[in-house]
Amino acid sequence: MKLYDAFRSALQSLVTNKLRSALTMLGVIIGVASVIAMVAVGNGASQQVQDRILALGSNLITVQAAQLSDQGLRGAGAQSQTLTLADMRTLQDQLGTSIAAIEAEQGAGRWQVTAGATNWNTSVTGVSEQYPAVRDWNVQLGEFFTQADLNVNASVAVIGATTALNLFGDADPVGQTIKLRQAFAGRGGSSARILNFKIVGVLEAKGSTFGFSRDDQILVPITTAQRVLTGRRDVVNTVVVKALDNTVMTRTTDDVFNTLLVAHKIEDPAAADFTVTNQNDTLAALDQITGLFTLLLGAIGGISLLVGGIGIMNIMLVTVNERTREIGIRKAVGARRGDILQQFLIESIALTGVGGVLGILLGWGISQAVQRIAQAQGLTLLLLVTTGTVLIAVGVSVGIGLLFGLYPAMRAARLHPIQALRYE
Amino acid sequence: MIASGRLPPPRQPVVRLRGITKTYRIGREIEVRALRGVDLDVMPGEFVAIMGPSGSGKSTLMNVLGCLDAPDAGTYELAGQTVASLSDGALAAIRNRHVGFVFQTFNLLPRLNAIENVELPLVYGGDGRDRRPRAAAALEQVGLGDRLHHRPSELSGGQQQRVAIARALLNDPSMILADEPTGNLDSRSSAEILAIFQRLNAQGKTVVMVTHEPDVAAHCRRIVRMRDGVVAHDDPVAAPRRAEEEIAAGIGAAE
Ligand SMILES: Nc1ncnc2c1ncn2[C@@H]1O[C@H](COP(=O)(O)OP(=O)(O)OP(=O)(O)O)[C@@H](O)[C@H]1O
Ligand SMILES: [Mg+2]
Repeated sequence: MKLYDAFRSALQSLVTNKLRSALTMLGVIIGVASVIAMVAVGNGASQQVQDRILALGSNLITVQAAQLSDQGLRGAGAQSQTLTLADMRTLQDQLGTSIAAIEAEQGAGRWQVTAGATNWNTSVTGVSEQYPAVRDWNVQLGEFFTQADLNVNASVAVIGATTALNLFGDADPVGQTIKLRQAFAGRGGSSARILNFKIVGVLEAKGSTFGFSRDDQILVPITTAQRVLTGRRDVVNTVVVKALDNTVMTRTTDDVFNTLLVAHKIEDPAAADFTVTNQNDTLAALDQITGLFTLLLGAIGGISLLVGGIGIMNIMLVTVNERTREIGIRKAVGARRGDILQQFLIESIALTGVGGVLGILLGWGISQAVQRIAQAQGLTLLLLVTTGTVLIAVGVSVGIGLLFGLYPAMRAARLHPIQALRYE
Repeated sequence: MIASGRLPPPRQPVVRLRGITKTYRIGREIEVRALRGVDLDVMPGEFVAIMGPSGSGKSTLMNVLGCLDAPDAGTYELAGQTVASLSDGALAAIRNRHVGFVFQTFNLLPRLNAIENVELPLVYGGDGRDRRPRAAAALEQVGLGDRLHHRPSELSGGQQQRVAIARALLNDPSMILADEPTGNLDSRSSAEILAIFQRLNAQGKTVVMVTHEPDVAAHCRRIVRMRDGVVAHDDPVAAPRRAEEEIAAGIGAAE
């Protein structure tokens, strides 16, 4: 029997039993739709995590002072000595053009900020001059501070777009002065320090990821942060290296590690007083976690698909039973077992195939709707329906048709012609 | 393989049965010996009636002849080829090419219209390219040229049986097997069916037909009588009745 005939006859019989076909299909539709929607949630979460990490800059290698172990250096402040601005400069000199950019950061905590009569509260971070290059984050107005500013511990600042809006409204902040104020709850009541900073630049807006704005911050030269804001003169929290591209990440990571080992005069790599993490490794680890998450969600959806499959099997068994005589007639005019098998398999595949396509559309619709609703509620929820998911869904629904259609079709094919013809 | 649809050389029988037995078992204890050693030859171009009391094994014999059922023992040669121990696929091919079945209950597929029912054998074998015109021609031949797109439920019993005959003819089989083809029909429709068989037989087609009615059997050229699973009598009919003349004269065949 030719495939064309088989398909025509399959569709004909599905159309003949419209209601039954629709109800059976509904099981597959719901199953596929729930797999699509569930996996979309997983994919979306994975994408969001990845976006968030990459939003901090791409191809990044991060150096941090090691968490102190028992054999490590002891005592308060010991950690601060293990990673310094000098380390950053050493890396910069030694690695030269084999890296794209490098910067060092020290957090300075939250400060009260005033510009004229306007008050604002935000976090202040000390960074070095290549921050924009490392973080893929340019200034929109003015300029970023330079190494010369670092050298003289200049009281200059670059502020985020949100901070600028809150302090200055529509006015140009560049050239304006802000006052940083930190209250101490010290002995004998509270006192406060007030420091003036001149704004030299405003960062372009990056928007928020996970509902948390990265545009509300103040950047100052790291040397100024160390000496004036925090007093922790030699501390660097992190040194961030930007590799030339994604393919050299591993090599550059090794270079950074070895250069620092030498600089720190440490011979045993296991005794390193710093850690070097590579963004790719972080992404891979997170990918594994989100992948598992997606798989779990997919499996939950898969259960309803399984139920849909059992519905298919049930209805195909009924169909085969009802059409026993037809099978006998077909055998009497020369249908082989394979022809009958093929006919009923194609019928169940047609059921699940059409159901699968409708299920994909429904699942996609649900994903879109959920995302819209979440957005309306002020949540950023990403649901991602990928081509891969769609292809797998089509494959799985056809597979379900094959799997659950096989037994009924085999029963049909094995019927004895005479017994089938005699069936009432 | 047998050359498809061709008549065998003149002296070779279409059907050669020797010692055919078939026993049905119901549960463990009960055995029904439906065929107890049937010997039968049918030559090309014959028109044979098989008669006998109910339960004498006529339908069982037809099923064996049509390769719908396998005998327990004995040899069966169909158009010169030994049929025993053929695979399911090979038997299906024989049913497709060498046998045209006509049943008492018509056995048309209710969802298909006349022309789709008739072309069914070509769906499963043979050259399917011009199957529409061939199916239409076969329906024309049995006088249903104006009912091509009617479904079985929209046709009378006699018309349904004629569709079944058209279907049986489509692959130009070595023989037509009809198991009580007129059993569900009135005398007028029966006469029409018999007229078709006689016309086909006159064109050289081999026809084997089971019937209970002597009036129907009288249209054949040979009557085989069965009893208790064996052939009891086998006689030629001296002067077969002519169904066409009876229709023209306005007499039903089986009245
Ligand atoms: N599938 C079966 N299982 C068990 N016994 C069967 C089966 N088919 C036929 N028989 C038995 O075999 C015997 C012959 O049956 P068969 O149908 O060949 O008779 P028949 O001559 O065609 O009778 P009728 O004229 O009533 O159609 C009967 O006794 C019947 O009960
Ligand atoms: Mg019978």
